[in-house]
Amino acid sequence: MIAKRALFIVLVVALLAAFGLSGVAATRAQTPKTLYVYDTSDTNITDWLTNTVIPAFEKANPQYKVELVLARGQGASIDNIVDRIQAALQTNADPQADVLAYNPLSKPELIEAGLWLEIDEKNVPNVKNLRAGAKTSPVNLPYRGSQVLIGYNSEFVAEADVPKTFMDLVEWTKKNPGKFAYNRPDKGGSGGNFVVRAIYEVTGKDPSKFKPGEPDPALLAEYPKAWELLRQIHPNIYENGSYPASNTATLELLANGSINMASVWSDQALQAISKGVLPETIKLTQFTDLPMPGGFAYLAIPKNSTNIEGALAWVNFLLSEEIQISVVKNIGGFPAINWDLLPAELQSEFTSVIAPSVPSWPGGAYGAEMVKGWYENVATNIKRE
Amino acid sequence: MTTQSLPSPAPTPNYAIQAARRARRQALTGYTLVAPSLLVVALLIIYPAAGSVIRSVIVYNNGVATFSLQRYADFFNNPISMQNLGFTLSITLLTLAFLFLVCFPLALYLRFSNSRIASAVQLLALFPLFVPAIILAYALIRFFITRGVFQTLINGVGIASYSMPIQKPAGIIIGLVWDNLPFTILILTAGLRQIDDALLESARDVGASNTQIFFRIILPLMQRPALIVFSLNFMGLFGSYTLPYLLGPAAPQMMGVYMQRTLGDFLDTSAAETQAVISFIICAAAGFVYVWSVSRQRKGER
Repeated sequence: MIAKRALFIVLVVALLAAFGLSGVAATRAQTPKTLYVYDTSDTNITDWLTNTVIPAFEKANPQYKVELVLARGQGASIDNIVDRIQAALQTNADPQADVLAYNPLSKPELIEAGLWLEIDEKNVPNVKNLRAGAKTSPVNLPYRGSQVLIGYNSEFVAEADVPKTFMDLVEWTKKNPGKFAYNRPDKGGSGGNFVVRAIYEVTGKDPSKFKPGEPDPALLAEYPKAWELLRQIHPNIYENGSYPASNTATLELLANGSINMASVWSDQALQAISKGVLPETIKLTQFTDLPMPGGFAYLAIPKNSTNIEGALAWVNFLLSEEIQISVVKNIGGFPAINWDLLPAELQSEFTSVIAPSVPSWPGGAYGAEMVKGWYENVATNIKRE
Repeated sequence: MTTQSLPSPAPTPNYAIQAARRARRQALTGYTLVAPSLLVVALLIIYPAAGSVIRSVIVYNNGVATFSLQRYADFFNNPISMQNLGFTLSITLLTLAFLFLVCFPLALYLRFSNSRIASAVQLLALFPLFVPAIILAYALIRFFITRGVFQTLINGVGIASYSMPIQKPAGIIIGLVWDNLPFTILILTAGLRQIDDALLESARDVGASNTQIFFRIILPLMQRPALIVFSLNFMGLFGSYTLPYLLGPAAPQMMGVYMQRTLGDFLDTSAAETQAVISFIICAAAGFVYVWSVSRQRKGER
């Protein structure tokens, strides 16, 4: 019994000594500095970060070691992390967070409080390559995007009939009843942004009119015109207005041939085509008069990060040509930098879907009114005076 | 007659006090036992529900709270909410009708058959109990989608035209019937088992036909289980959310989905609360039927 206890004590001491020594050794050998990166994405993105981006970054910058933390869901969500960083700022503690997949615009009061580092060409040289309009605040940084496109089955839709504008599409649905679908605007962005595009269509095709914050009543007053436009498509939607309930449900209808045209997310569709989930005959196109909206994934750096240098190196690396090509090739996303900086063959592969801009929809009260209006005026069969 | 004239012996005072004490102690134990559950119900159900009811009838005019039925007027004057309410009621009643149609014959079969097939059927009938609604919904979508399994099957037997039931009212009914089969069958078979074999045999002995036994004995005795099935299912169906959300059309929508949308998408708390109170009142009526039938049985047993 005593022998056992003695052995146990010796083991514990040995273990502690080993830890202590390794700690000392670590500081002496100057092991890479840890860089805490928080991400909120689905597995397709986090796998890509873990297997492709981080090894490449650590190879190019051996002085850093990236610690990827997933902040998905409730309780440990990115908002909780942001709260923690803010608390750390007030107490001058180490927030243990260097780069976050977060758009500071969602909490303007924290930008005012000076929580976020301003990112520009001076500290992140690759910012100069960003697509126009993608960076929406001094403190945020877009690094990959996706946009809503029109997907069509080239087996049944002749090249000449592919819609170039929103009104072309309306005409196409009239000639091909039951062969088009977009999902309910609150059930997935591919349908939501299609409805947004209809709103842009009736408000002078100028997305810049819609600014985040309190909605402009004059713009809200124009919504009914968009409902009228969408009502024209309504009877010709798949199965007399049977709107799919998710992005993937729309893709499934397109895949099994139930419909020949749909509004789809670029990254989902590109990935589905490359994996063979969507047949090869599915082609993608974008309206040429005004593209459909989309969005970027944004990054932010807290001012109180203890590794700002590493954080800046990381975000600059994400905007490098190498990673931006990987965004297109590996995850079907859109680059945050200008398309013309990417290899010519990659550009030509995506010519049909490259839009000069990615309109960004502010959401908020504009979005709430949109969903409500859509359900009450477009989806329903009740006629309102 | 003689007993009347005799003076009744007065109980000894000691005994009376003891009995009173015992009764008081028993009552106290009873109250202590129900107190925790009563507290939970009061705190987590009655208090917030009462809050919703009160908030739904109070309107603030320049900061002054006044009583108003404006929100209810809005609800009943809005064709969309009225359509959704009517839709919810009709889906609920249709689902109930289908449930009875499917379950009553099944329950009769399970009650009066002792074969091995019957126990297999019993097991199968309980199977939906172990399938979560969300998995059921996706299974039904995969099964009924255009060019899915079902269409392939009916095309195989020569039926060419097919319109999928999902994303339509029929989708909700199919899902809800499937989901509520086990509960309905359990209650109905339990009710049927309460009917004594001796009762049926004696009826047969005096020459009653099977039809007569069914209509004169079984049906009247099944009233109460049927009432319980009706009221409990009514509440569950009326307030169902997952299946209508995943299988139903974009419009009209059932109250559960509509409420969630009003709250989550339109960010309209007070309208959502008003919808909730209206749904609550309708379900309370069904609940009253249940309580009434149970308490009637209690009185009958005494």
